[in-house]
Amino acid sequence: MFLQLLANGLVTGAIYALAAVGVSLIYGILRLVHFAYGDVMTFGAYVGVLCNMTLGLDLALSVVLAMLATAALSVVLEPVLWMPLRRRRAGFMSLFLASIGLALVLRQAIFLAAGPQPRSFDVDPFKVHTLGSVRLSGAQAIAIVIAVVVIVLVGLMLGLTSIGRTMRAVSDDRALAAIAGVDTGRVVLLTWVVAGLLAALAGVLAALVQSSFDPNFGFALLLPVFAAVVLGGIGSAYGALAGGLVLGVATELSTWESLGGGVDPVYKPVVAFAVLILVLLLRPNGLLGRAQVA
Amino acid sequence: MSVLASGEFWAFVGVVAGIYTILALGLQVEFGFAGLLNFGHVAFMAIGAYTMAILVVKAGLSTWLAAPIAILAAAVAGVLLGVTTLRLRADYFAIVTIAFSEIVRYVATNEDGLTGGSQGTINLAKTGEAADYNVEWQRFEDWLQGILHVGSNDVAMLVLVWACALSATALVWLAIRTPWGRVLRAIREDEDAARSLGKNAFGYKLQALAIGSALAGVAGVFYAWQFAFFSPGDFAPLLTFFAWMIVILGGVGRAWAVPVGALVFGVLFAGTRFFDFVPFTWFDSAERAYLRLILIGLVIIGLVLFRPQGILGRREELVLE
Amino acid sequence: MSPALLEVRDVVRAFDGVRAVDGASLDVHEGSITSLIGPNGAGKSTLFDLVSGFRRADSGTIAFGGHRIDRLPAYRIAQQGLVRTFQTARALTRMTVLENVLLAAPAQPGEQLHRNVLRRAATRRREREVRARAHELLELVRLSRHAEEQAGTLSGGQRKLLDFARALMTAPRLVLLDEPMAGVSPALRGELLEQVVSMRDEHGVTVLLVEHDLEVVMGASDRVVVMSDGAVIAAGTPAQVQDDARVIDAYLGVAT
Repeated sequence: MFLQLLANGLVTGAIYALAAVGVSLIYGILRLVHFAYGDVMTFGAYVGVLCNMTLGLDLALSVVLAMLATAALSVVLEPVLWMPLRRRRAGFMSLFLASIGLALVLRQAIFLAAGPQPRSFDVDPFKVHTLGSVRLSGAQAIAIVIAVVVIVLVGLMLGLTSIGRTMRAVSDDRALAAIAGVDTGRVVLLTWVVAGLLAALAGVLAALVQSSFDPNFGFALLLPVFAAVVLGGIGSAYGALAGGLVLGVATELSTWESLGGGVDPVYKPVVAFAVLILVLLLRPNGLLGRAQVA
Repeated sequence: MSVLASGEFWAFVGVVAGIYTILALGLQVEFGFAGLLNFGHVAFMAIGAYTMAILVVKAGLSTWLAAPIAILAAAVAGVLLGVTTLRLRADYFAIVTIAFSEIVRYVATNEDGLTGGSQGTINLAKTGEAADYNVEWQRFEDWLQGILHVGSNDVAMLVLVWACALSATALVWLAIRTPWGRVLRAIREDEDAARSLGKNAFGYKLQALAIGSALAGVAGVFYAWQFAFFSPGDFAPLLTFFAWMIVILGGVGRAWAVPVGALVFGVLFAGTRFFDFVPFTWFDSAERAYLRLILIGLVIIGLVLFRPQGILGRREELVLE
Repeated sequence: MSPALLEVRDVVRAFDGVRAVDGASLDVHEGSITSLIGPNGAGKSTLFDLVSGFRRADSGTIAFGGHRIDRLPAYRIAQQGLVRTFQTARALTRMTVLENVLLAAPAQPGEQLHRNVLRRAATRRREREVRARAHELLELVRLSRHAEEQAGTLSGGQRKLLDFARALMTAPRLVLLDEPMAGVSPALRGELLEQVVSMRDEHGVTVLLVEHDLEVVMGASDRVVVMSDGAVIAAGTPAQVQDDARVIDAYLGVAT
C-alpha cells in the first residue's frame, strides 16, 4: 500500500512540479504571482480534448496542439495585458489583481464555449500497468514519464544553455540584466512560451490522470501548485520542482492507514495547505528560498 | 422586461449590495487601512454564517444570542490566522490566506454532521422545517415591516442591512481619524518607520484583522438570515474577489468609497441581466451568467489598468501599488 | 566613570557565513555626540540595526541605560528612548508633515482604539498637548509652513529635518542617526548640523551618528569610534583617532 501511495504521489508530484516550474519562472522573471495559471492549464486541457474528442485527432498530436495553442495564448497576453501594466509601473498588487481578473475571464469563457459538463480524453480507463505491487493506470504511466522527461529538459535548458543562464540572470536582478545589455524583451517572450507549454502539459496530464474534468479543475490544482512554489522558495525553479514532488508525495502518503488511520482522501488538498503553512512557520522563506531582497 | 421595473427585484439587489458593503468594509480596514493582502476574506463570512446556523439549529440557542457569538468567532478566527501568518512576507501571506479560506470551505463541505455538507444548511434542519434562525428572523422582519410600513420583507431587510452597513462605515470612518487610525495608516505605508517610532506594528495589524474579520462575520450572519439556507459553494474565493473589486472600484483607503463601490457593483452585476440588445441576445440565461462574470473580470483588469484609484480616490493618494 | 548610556559588548552578526559584525564593542556616554566612522562594509549600518532591534545579534550583549535590550523587539527599544533614523529619510509621504510628527509622540492614549470612546476627555487633552509640541518642533526645524502639506512634497533635505523632528518628538534619551548628511545639498548641511548639535545642547539628547562627512565628524563630535571589518579598531576624541595608525591603515587598506 505504501508503495502504491508513493507511486501515486510521484505522479501527482510530477504534475505539480511541471506547473510549479512555470509559475516560478513567471514570478522570478516577471515578478508576477500568476493567479490565472490554473485556468491557463484548463485552457490547455480543453484545447487538447477539443482536438482529441471533437476532431478525432490522435492523443499525442492533440497534446502538441494544446501546448502550441497555450503558448500562443500566453504570448498574445504579453502585449495586450502585461506590457501595458508594466508601462504604468504596476506593482505586485496591481499585477496580482489583473491576473485575478484574467482568471475570471478565462474560466468563464471556457464555461461559455464548452459548457459545464465533465469531459474526458480518449484513453482506455481500464488499461493498467503493473510494477511489482504497484498498479498504474495508462494515464498515470504517461504522466510520470513525460513529466520527468520534460522536467529534466527544462532543468538542462536553465542550467546549460546561454538563454537559460540569461533567464536566471534576469530572474536574479532585472534592472542589472537590462543594464548589462541583456535583451529582456526576448527573455520575457521566452518565459511566456515556456510557461505556456508547461501549463498546457501539466493541464493535459492532470486531466488524463483525473480521467474527467470540468472548467474548474485548473484552479483547484493551482493552490497546491502555489503551495509547491512557496514551499520550494518562490523564484527558484529547482525549488519549485522539489516543492512539487514533496507536496505530491506528502499529500498521497497522508492517507496511509498506518499513519494513525490516515487522512480522509477527501482532505488531500487540505493536507497540501497544512504542509505549506507548517513549513512557512518554521522556514518563512520556504525550503530552498532566500530572504526577499528589497 | 417588466422585471426591470420590479421593485422587489431591486430591493433584493439592494440587500445583496448591502451585505457586500459590510464584507468589503472589512477588507477596506484590512487592506485599505492596514495594508494586509487578505485573499481569504470570505472564509470569515462563512465562519460567521455557519457558526450562527449551527448554534441555533444544533445547540438550540436563540438567533439573537447566536449572532453575536458568530461574529466573535469570526474575529477570533481572524486573530488566529494573523498570529500564525502575519510575519510572512506579503506575497506568501496572500497565498496562505487563500489556502485558509479553501480549508474552511473544505471542512464545511465534508463535515456533513456539523455543517450539512455540500448541500448546505438545508441538511441541518429536519425535513419540512425551516431553519430556526430563519424562523426567528422572519418573525422579526414581519415586525419590522409593520413598524416601517413597507410593502415587503425584502424592503424591511433592505432598510435594516443598509442601516447597519452605513453605521459600520461611519464607525470605520471615525476610527481611522483617531490617533489609532494614524498609526494604522503609518504602518501600511512604512512599517519600519512606525516601529522605529515605538509602534507595535504586529499588534495593530492583528487588530485590523480582528475588526475586518468581525465585519465579514456580520456579513455572514446577514447572509444566513436573508437566504435561509446556504452551502459551502456560496463562500467560494469568487466572493473574496468581488469584495476586492468593490474596494478598488470605490477607492482604496476611503471608508465611504465602499458603499459607493458596492452599489455600482450591484447595479453592474444585476443590471446586465436585462441587456436586451445584441450581442447579449445571442446567449441564453445560463450563458449570460458566464458573460456577467467575464464582464466582472474585464472590469477588474480595466480598473487596474486605467483607474486604479477607483471612483472616489485621487491619483496622488494612490495606495494600490 | 559612570556606566555608559549605551554599552555594546562583543556583538556578532553573520549573513550566509560572512560576519558583518565581528565582535564589536563600544560605549556611548550620556550627553555626548559620538560618531561612528569606517570604510564601506565595515559593519556600521548592521550595528545600527542590531542596536535598534531591527536585526538580532547572533551573540554579544547590548545594554541601554543599564538594561539589556538585545532581545527586545524594535518597537520596545524605541519606547525605552532609543530611537533611530534611516539612511533614506522615511517620511510617510501620504500623510501630512504634521501627522508625521504627531505620530511620533509617546504615551498617546488615543492610539488605543477603545480610549477614543471610553476616556475621551483624557485622550483629547493629550492630543492637544501633542499638537502643540508638534508645532513647536516643526518651528524648530523650520518646516512650520509645510505642516498641512503631504510629506511627499518635501525635498530630501527637508525630509531629513522631518526625521529629526519626529525623533525629538519621541522625547528620546539616545538618537541613532544613520548618515544624516547623505543625499543632502551642501547648503542644507549646515542647518542639519546645527540641529544635531542643538539636540545635545538644548534637548539633552545623546547622539550616535554614522557619517562619512569628516567635517561633521571631527568638528562636532565629542568622541569618534572607528570600525573596520566588523570590529571596533579605535575609539577616542577626534584628535586621538585622527593620528591613530590603525585608523589610517583601515582607510588606506580599503582604498587600494
